[in-house]
Amino acid sequence: MAIEPLIEIEAGQGPRSSGVTYQDLLDAETREVPEVLRMQAARETPVVRVPIDRYTSQEFHDLEVEKVWKKVWQFACREEQIPEPGDHTVYDIANLSILVLRDESGEIRAHHNVCLHRGRALKDFDGNSSDLRCPFHGWTWNLDGSLKEIPCRWDFPDVDQDDYALPPVKVALWGGFVFINLDPDCEPFENHIGDLGKHFERWPLEKRYTEAHVAKLLRCNWKVAQEAFMEAYHVVGTHPQILAGIGDANTQYDAWDTFSRAMTPNMTPSPHLTEEPTEQEMINSMLSVSLDEGPMFNVPEDMTARQMLGQMTRMQLQAQVPSVQELTDAELADSFYYTLFPNFHPWGAYNKIVYRFRPYKNKPNECIMEVLFLSPFRGRRPPAAKVKWIDFDAPWSDAIPEFGSLAKVFSQDAYNIPHVQKGLEAAQHTHVTFANYQETKIRHFHTLLEKYLQA
Amino acid sequence: MKLRHAMTGAIYTNRPDGRVDVELDGKTGVFETTGEYVSGELRQADPHMLDWMRDSQPVPNRRTGNMGVGAAEAAGPAGVALPQLGTSTRTEGRKGHMDLGLNGRKVLVTAATRGIGLSIAQHFADEGCDVALCARGEGGIETATKDLEARGAKVFARAVDVADGGAFKQFVADAADALGGLDIFVSNASGGAGPGEKAWQASFDVDMMGAVRGVDAALPSLEASDAGSVIFISSTAALEYLGVPQAYNAMKAALIAHAGDMSQALAPKGVRVNVISPGPVYFEGGNWEMIKQAMPAMYEGALAQCAIGRMGAPEEIARAVVFLASPAASLITGANLVCDGGFTKRMPF
Repeated sequence: MAIEPLIEIEAGQGPRSSGVTYQDLLDAETREVPEVLRMQAARETPVVRVPIDRYTSQEFHDLEVEKVWKKVWQFACREEQIPEPGDHTVYDIANLSILVLRDESGEIRAHHNVCLHRGRALKDFDGNSSDLRCPFHGWTWNLDGSLKEIPCRWDFPDVDQDDYALPPVKVALWGGFVFINLDPDCEPFENHIGDLGKHFERWPLEKRYTEAHVAKLLRCNWKVAQEAFMEAYHVVGTHPQILAGIGDANTQYDAWDTFSRAMTPNMTPSPHLTEEPTEQEMINSMLSVSLDEGPMFNVPEDMTARQMLGQMTRMQLQAQVPSVQELTDAELADSFYYTLFPNFHPWGAYNKIVYRFRPYKNKPNECIMEVLFLSPFRGRRPPAAKVKWIDFDAPWSDAIPEFGSLAKVFSQDAYNIPHVQKGLEAAQHTHVTFANYQETKIRHFHTLLEKYLQA
Repeated sequence: MKLRHAMTGAIYTNRPDGRVDVELDGKTGVFETTGEYVSGELRQADPHMLDWMRDSQPVPNRRTGNMGVGAAEAAGPAGVALPQLGTSTRTEGRKGHMDLGLNGRKVLVTAATRGIGLSIAQHFADEGCDVALCARGEGGIETATKDLEARGAKVFARAVDVADGGAFKQFVADAADALGGLDIFVSNASGGAGPGEKAWQASFDVDMMGAVRGVDAALPSLEASDAGSVIFISSTAALEYLGVPQAYNAMKAALIAHAGDMSQALAPKGVRVNVISPGPVYFEGGNWEMIKQAMPAMYEGALAQCAIGRMGAPEEIARAVVFLASPAASLITGANLVCDGGFTKRMPF
């Protein structure tokens, strides 16, 4: 079942929530507001409804593998995960496996993680090695993919040295991330990344290191998980403890060619509330201060909670980010969450989050949600954190050592996820429905997904 | 933990049995954190709030004691790359769990609002201890208190000059009263380095007498504890010539001798006494940062002496203190543990 636009709405034409707009909030800044925050997309995403079997069926999953995962530029790893020659990491996507490595000249390369003899995966784990030796019979390739050695070479008279080089996988580098593409005839990476680089000019992601990296297994389609992190519409239902200090429904949503963005203001009250919270209550709500305890931080009389959060974040960042005094309160207090099709979600400004969602093994109803914390640093780049895995039945709050109370927020999100999958599999109606404005990013994703399916 | 649902106005309160009380419009109900109704008139609750309450269990359930370096600390305070703990790639399921036995202990640390002292207090707090601390400045006291409270510790803090013997002993006694005892005393305050007779007096009053009076005032509580323990913070300046004769060096050496004496004297009373001797420790606002700017040649010289190629970080000292002070180190008394990354070159007999 294909998706088709139901309604076309011109930019700025659709109805919006009561309360301040994001651009109103920027007008109150005392520092110069960067152009990137002033940008608004020139058009809106058409309203579409999405067939439910796109989240549940093996057939659709298989189609996604053929039409998307084998064709699209995708984030495989961080450059600092493989700092030295010979360092390699295994990137699995659905039933595909790619070996990303740094060769002897320091160049990053990718190969299919498959032995050309009888097909064993060449590497089971991340590690370092001077060549790629299959553990089964010992066929060995150089890091650049050229065939190095076949034990009993005399026994393979039909094997040509050059024909048996490992087929290369295309690689592109951006912001310290390694992207790969399995399609030898794919579009240039520059077309795919588009103007995203301009958005991150002020917040260079290449000058960060992986402070923490957690991968959580979830019992749902990867799109179900991903779509829970692409809008602020769920905050009222799922995160009631933070409503006093988040302008959830005042979020600005934009979609450009291959990527979309949401900007959710913090330390401004939710328009859902019937009583206006005080500045102190906004800070308390963000820190989830217990009602029977005093505040963790007092908001000074001459300051708003928004200014205070900005100031506190500036103090935290000043040792690592020289330009911190020029950053607006918005850049220090708010949540800017980008999505580059299909599954890469870097957050803007100095919020450290990067999300990635992908199918787990070859299943339509299980997925991996990963959260990376990319932190600024001073001096020598600290080593990248190793991935910590959290199993299906363990809670996200196992990542409190890595992410603090953010792990508890993820736990609230993950609480819904298996129930969404259960409902979708039980559903007797045919489509899921999305909000015109607040679910812009999701509809934009599905519009792009459809484009890949039709290609 | 007690929180209000912003939309419905319902109040959620953690119960000691791990369930949650929910109250709305005069009706109450009890729920499992997984969402199931248990009892009461109120039969509906928000599962997301319950999930949040599960993850916000009050002290001490949440404070499991785990001296692994949190990822947030791994970069070091000045962006110094430190080895990361807890990142071993060994087989899943084989994590170390050496319980230090510190949960619920009461600790007093002098001069604990910055640098090594603050890091020591933070590490004890993270291990589930309540903390008493003092420092000369009022300002640092407030931020350190908030920091430690945010880690779940009960905190007793006062601005006291350790050199003021009467006030200091009073503080130690009051701290024991406020926390309901003392298990561990860490003498960290120092009069600092400097020339002249004033420096000799300051070193004697703070480094030496701070330790002597602190133990004296804390002893009734330490004896009453089943794991009484004392740590003196000395220095590698006591062990090897640093280039200038100073009161600081001599007084740090005296501390080692006094710790040895006290370890013998207090062993029958069940109190252990040990010394930690840090080498150069670099942190923002610390002496070595100042020396780096003011006397780069001296800084470079000291750095060159560090066999591991860098200076220490406060948390590297703090972890040693926390272990040595803990019941996990029950056999160790009268020891001087040198933490210097190979800065000193003597043979460690």
